Amino acid sequence: MKFHFFHLMPYPDLPADFREKNRSVWVDVSSKLFDPAVGHRAYNDYLDELEFAASVGFDGICVNEHHQNAYGMMPSPNLMAAALARRTSGVKLVLMGNSVALYNPPTRVAEEMAMLDVLSGGRLVAGFPVGTPMDTTYCYGQSPATLREKYREAVALILRAWAEPDVFSFNGKYTQLRYVNVWPRPVQKPRPPVWVPGGASVETWDLCLENDFLYANLSYFGYLEAQKILDGFWRAADRHKVEHNPYRAGFLQFIAVADSDAEAERIYTEPALYFYQRALHVHSGFVNPPGYTSVATLRAGIEGQIARITKRAGARAELATLTWKDLMNRGYIVAGSPATVADRINDMADKLNVGHLMVLLHFGNMSKEVTLYNTRRFAEEVIPRLRPRFSEWEDRWFPKDILAPTPPSALVTEPTRRPHAGDVA
Amino acid sequence: MNGEMLRLPNGRSWQVFSGGAGPDLLWLHGLRGVDPADPMLAALQKRYRVVAPVAPGFNDLDELSKIDNIHELALDYDDLIEALKLRDFALVGHSFGAMIAAEIAAHFPRRPKRLILIAPFGLWNEAYPVADIFAIAYTQLDDILWHDAKARDAFAKPAAGEADAKAAADQMINLARSLTAVTKFVWPIPDRGLRRRLPRIVCPTLVLFGAEDAVIPARYAEDFRAGIRNVQTASVARAGHMLPYEQPQQVLELIGREPVAG
Repeated sequence: MKFHFFHLMPYPDLPADFREKNRSVWVDVSSKLFDPAVGHRAYNDYLDELEFAASVGFDGICVNEHHQNAYGMMPSPNLMAAALARRTSGVKLVLMGNSVALYNPPTRVAEEMAMLDVLSGGRLVAGFPVGTPMDTTYCYGQSPATLREKYREAVALILRAWAEPDVFSFNGKYTQLRYVNVWPRPVQKPRPPVWVPGGASVETWDLCLENDFLYANLSYFGYLEAQKILDGFWRAADRHKVEHNPYRAGFLQFIAVADSDAEAERIYTEPALYFYQRALHVHSGFVNPPGYTSVATLRAGIEGQIARITKRAGARAELATLTWKDLMNRGYIVAGSPATVADRINDMADKLNVGHLMVLLHFGNMSKEVTLYNTRRFAEEVIPRLRPRFSEWEDRWFPKDILAPTPPSALVTEPTRRPHAGDVA
Repeated sequence: MNGEMLRLPNGRSWQVFSGGAGPDLLWLHGLRGVDPADPMLAALQKRYRVVAPVAPGFNDLDELSKIDNIHELALDYDDLIEALKLRDFALVGHSFGAMIAAEIAAHFPRRPKRLILIAPFGLWNEAYPVADIFAIAYTQLDDILWHDAKARDAFAKPAAGEADAKAAADQMINLARSLTAVTKFVWPIPDRGLRRRLPRIVCPTLVLFGAEDAVIPARYAEDFRAGIRNVQTASVARAGHMLPYEQPQQVLELIGREPVAG
């Protein structure tokens, strides 16, 4: 099994009455709530935390893309991945990822990801999410009627731009380019592994299985609620006659490690409630624009969907009075001693059959001190218990042969001398 | 009304409802497609032969893959009008349908004899923006469409109970599909350049708004008036975006009024 430290980079200083005074944390959240000094501190703390995770043995560190929100301050995860590429070695940079339908032309994504792969020596995982409705349709103005078609065309263009050695022309419906010739080219051949983070949609499963992409289910509601979704994915795998290699799938889980359940409650209640009550407070009108969910997906799960919406509407109201106990009972957060956490993850691995676990060890307004504590305990006391799982399977969805690292040299403090004529090559 | 599937020489299929007797009237529906039992259509059929096609995408979203933009949509309607052999007809559209009607009249100025735009989408004025009907949960959409609560209740299909889960699901899918088709031409801002094309419209035109329209402020009548040569405007009191169903008598009377030469 492989473990990846995922950071959402939330804005950590939303007021306690944020829910009452604001309709949404996303799209039209007031910029008056943003203090650049708080943002400066947070970015630098968050990068420290990701680098720390790399140093204690995580396989990957993950960043992702969101727009116009206080839930996650990474409109460009590529900038963060670039910073991380310089100060880490060995650990893989799981870029989860770029919403390719938003870039015109999408070769921009092919270029930036190739830069990251070359800069990091072949450590990039290329994530291609469709993107949330808030990000893609409301913030970036894409019509939900054409978003998925545009996304698929952009993915095809990027993969071809990495793979084709010669200049080619691309006459697409959404992008026309007379000369496609990406420089630089990725270290990884024919391309970095592609991961597709998503919710549950028939189209995403088919896309992943047809193209040998990893499917990652990013859920805030824990692995018990995800059973139906992963079951759907593995049934789709059967339809595509694809083996159930657990490394085809990824899953995101909130985790809180402590000496005991009581200690977990004491340490982690505040940041957990900050996440669920403030960072997840999205206006219901921004969640499901017409067309974002295809008719096929609506048909596939419509009765469940209606129940879910009703349930979710109820859950939305309940979020205001959520307690730590609720989070435990519903399995949103896996918390407790290292042994308890390892047991639960083993149970998750049994139930969902996922080989790539993304963990949120920072959430909400968790302090750096608590994050490092949670991260170290997970890395040192939980990961070793789980490492051997799924070792009988080959992981074909992760960077393998990386280049020897070229760490940043120390800052030059000596005066530079004028080169002699003979020095110039 | 009788519904039929029409196959055009270009391979496109159209579902078209028709009924009534009198001069031809082409009705382009609003956000929810054509209901054969629509009371406004029933009333119109007493005076007109009403032809009501279902807009591309409303029955099958795949149809939209063959229509890239508003111009191709206008071409598709031109093909349909040709196939229906409509001449000298009144072109009446409501809401999204009124946007299409205006585009047809601008692209093919000699097609309609007269044009009636009821609460039309299609223009954007920063001083009084069109509401974002897509930033509202489906279940709350009616709150902004209707002004008259009584008319809304009379129009609403009774809410499906637990036993009708399948029917409720179908209803939701139909609404999702209809609105998806609309987003193709109005997302994120309902402006595809119609303002530049309005001066091409030559037939007598009537622009109607509900005085209480919470989706498209009635002031947009002035924006349409500024662009169209031969135009009258009217505001219907005590009506919102659904004015044909909130004040049907007034709307019928206005549709029936002979245009005054401009």
